[in-house]
Amino acid sequence: MTRTLKVIAAVLALASALAACGGSSKSSSHASSSPSTTTSTSGGPGAGKPPVTIGDKNFTEEYVLGELYAEALQAKGYKVTVKGNIGSSEITYKALQAGQIDMYPEYTGTLLTAIAGITTPPQSAAQAYDEAKAYVQKQGFTLLDPTPFYDSDALGTLKSFATKNHLSTISDLRRFGSSLRLGGAPEFATRFEGLIGLKREYGLNPTFVPLAIGLTYTALDSGKVQVADVFTTDPQLTTGKYTVLSDPKKVFGFQNVAPVVKQSVLSAEGPAFAQTLNKVSALLTIPAIQRMNAAVALDHQSPAAVAHAFLAANGLL
Amino acid sequence: MSPLLAASGPVIPNFGGAPSTYACERANRLFCADWVTRNWSSVLWPALRQHIVLTVIAVAIGFAISTLLALIAYRRGWLERPVLIVTSILYTIPSLALFELLAPSFGLTRTTAEIALVSYTLLILFRNTLTGLREVPAEVKDAAAGMGMGPMQSLLRVELPLAAPAIIAGLRIATVTVISLATVAALIDNEGLGVPILTAISGEVFKTELITAGAMAVALALIADGLLVLIQRWLTPWTRAGR
Amino acid sequence: MGAFGQALQFIGRNGQVPGAPHLPTLVHLTLGTVKIAAIGVGISVAIALPIGLWLGHIHRGSFVAINLGNIWRSLPSLAVLAIGVAFLGLGLRNVELALVVLAVPPIITNAYVAIDGVDRGAVEAARGMGLTEWQILRSVELPLGVPLIFAGIRTAALFVVSTTTIAALTGYSGSLGDIINNETSYHLSGVLGAAIVIAALALVVEGLLAGLQRALTPRGLKLSKRQEVTSALAPLVTEPA
Repeated sequence: MTRTLKVIAAVLALASALAACGGSSKSSSHASSSPSTTTSTSGGPGAGKPPVTIGDKNFTEEYVLGELYAEALQAKGYKVTVKGNIGSSEITYKALQAGQIDMYPEYTGTLLTAIAGITTPPQSAAQAYDEAKAYVQKQGFTLLDPTPFYDSDALGTLKSFATKNHLSTISDLRRFGSSLRLGGAPEFATRFEGLIGLKREYGLNPTFVPLAIGLTYTALDSGKVQVADVFTTDPQLTTGKYTVLSDPKKVFGFQNVAPVVKQSVLSAEGPAFAQTLNKVSALLTIPAIQRMNAAVALDHQSPAAVAHAFLAANGLL
Repeated sequence: MSPLLAASGPVIPNFGGAPSTYACERANRLFCADWVTRNWSSVLWPALRQHIVLTVIAVAIGFAISTLLALIAYRRGWLERPVLIVTSILYTIPSLALFELLAPSFGLTRTTAEIALVSYTLLILFRNTLTGLREVPAEVKDAAAGMGMGPMQSLLRVELPLAAPAIIAGLRIATVTVISLATVAALIDNEGLGVPILTAISGEVFKTELITAGAMAVALALIADGLLVLIQRWLTPWTRAGR
Repeated sequence: MGAFGQALQFIGRNGQVPGAPHLPTLVHLTLGTVKIAAIGVGISVAIALPIGLWLGHIHRGSFVAINLGNIWRSLPSLAVLAIGVAFLGLGLRNVELALVVLAVPPIITNAYVAIDGVDRGAVEAARGMGLTEWQILRSVELPLGVPLIFAGIRTAALFVVSTTTIAALTGYSGSLGDIINNETSYHLSGVLGAAIVIAALALVVEGLLAGLQRALTPRGLKLSKRQEVTSALAPLVTEPA
């Protein structure tokens, strides 16, 4: 073969490879691609509707929730992309406002304190939901039905530390003053459902140690911090090694999850959209979400596989 | 608020089997082969595929741009210095910074990642192509002209083929560099082998995932490099003579 | 653009975030980055330069020296850092170890090629004049090899500065990468501001080393070189397959 022909052949091969990859990359454009991405059913109420982007925040439970909602929608024929691991609430909400995502699962209490910036905490889960919904509706979004489970922040310690110091409630920590090392995600320091609230309601004044969310339990184990911000549905809390201190003043609020969705997207996608999402949310009890978190965080299964198994077992696929 | 559940609550399946199936993961041993098999199609293969796509697009675009610039600079020498300065600056900016600087304008998308990755290929590809062209011996160019070839013909049939080894050397370096940098791109558009790497270190470090994804990135780079070497040998058989 | 204007303001107030006095400032983190990078580059040069220079002088180990460069390029720095942290824990020493692993290869490869490629005639002439091996290295090979040696050092330095910022992703705090990793606290203006400072830092380091290279390049070499060897030329332009 002459040289020119060789070059042309190489370029053609490369171009066709690129075209093939480029074509298939659209449907697999989310990193935690679910097993059902390629089997998006034809027909079903979602067929022909505009594609939807679901975002999720930067921790395990959110990845699971994102996948649950995405796969349930895909089973009904919707075209869904998951934009995973965007960041904290503040950043993810901004992505929603900027139109980079169409919806994401949010915690009602966090929405109120971190995003709406309220200073008087709600007194019940129902109130938290209603106030959060009212807030987002003013901005062109809405909240779908909340989940039965709530996942609040809490202060956790090693059980040995709690027993030794007779700790059962957060106010018991006051006597440590600033010698108490408290660890949490960076945003914990600036939130009411965090250091601000702890200082105001309980008079705590600890030394704050910023931690990446996933390193909480490692830090507790190693003694880097004595107390840390944990989530009540963390699977590590079921091992018996850690104690959660009670929060009588409800600083950490009520934290049911509800999808925040753009109102225009809701209308464009049709009624089956919200119905499907609400059906999924209704199934999410505390034991269910804890088992899913455990499968992902402890067994290192992929959120997609775990969500798939759960939805299949409950007839939503 | 929430609709009534059946009294027994949802069905919670046994995710993936008995706890003993996951003993290796829970113990966080160095390498759990079962984890790799279980998660290949949902985590590792998509990441690898995305990484390949990211790389191919970046190198292809970078190659197109720098070849064009090099061909122009070959004829108009004054272009060389400004192009070198701009591409050097782009090359010098650390990847994390460049990704973040582009993100506000182009979003957390593949586009941002690609623009940054393309920027890192320009310097080396431009230099190598231009130098390769310049190193074509003058006698060869004279001979071509003597045979009646016009400048375009000479370029296509004589100069570029002779510059091919240098060009492909540049492609090799650029490709391997992009494969390495694309792991950081995962921060921006959540694609590629950087995703399992970042996931693995997001809590207590999950060794299997980290090592597997890291090894895949290295393997990809070595394979790409090897492929380019083979392509060069195929395109320029005369370089093998006398070795 | 609004975002970049705010980023410049962020830089102007030393990275202070209103309402969060406990956050490390820009100056603090920049100095931290410089410190980590300087230690990394210093150790790498101390280890790698002598090895590369000597191998080049005795014209041995070309296979290792060249292929080290190839393997180096294919190591994703994020993965190397993460593995270092995973197996050795967080801590300055462990991050430096990863940095040194990443910085040593280009220095060795370039030093080797620099010395190995010195005109043999010049070396033989010096040997014939009775110079010792050490004197040959110092007065003949080293000055002639300055461009390529510095190409390697500049590549390594750039790489170390870049990787130091990435270290924040693996949990190691103390560098400008902390700001980028913590958009929630520093906001977008902070992230962009930090990115600008990182880019500037890299350019300054590159500029300083380029200046140092010019100062150390013998005048004869400077006059004969058509174009400056930049750090991307590591190793050489044309490699036989």
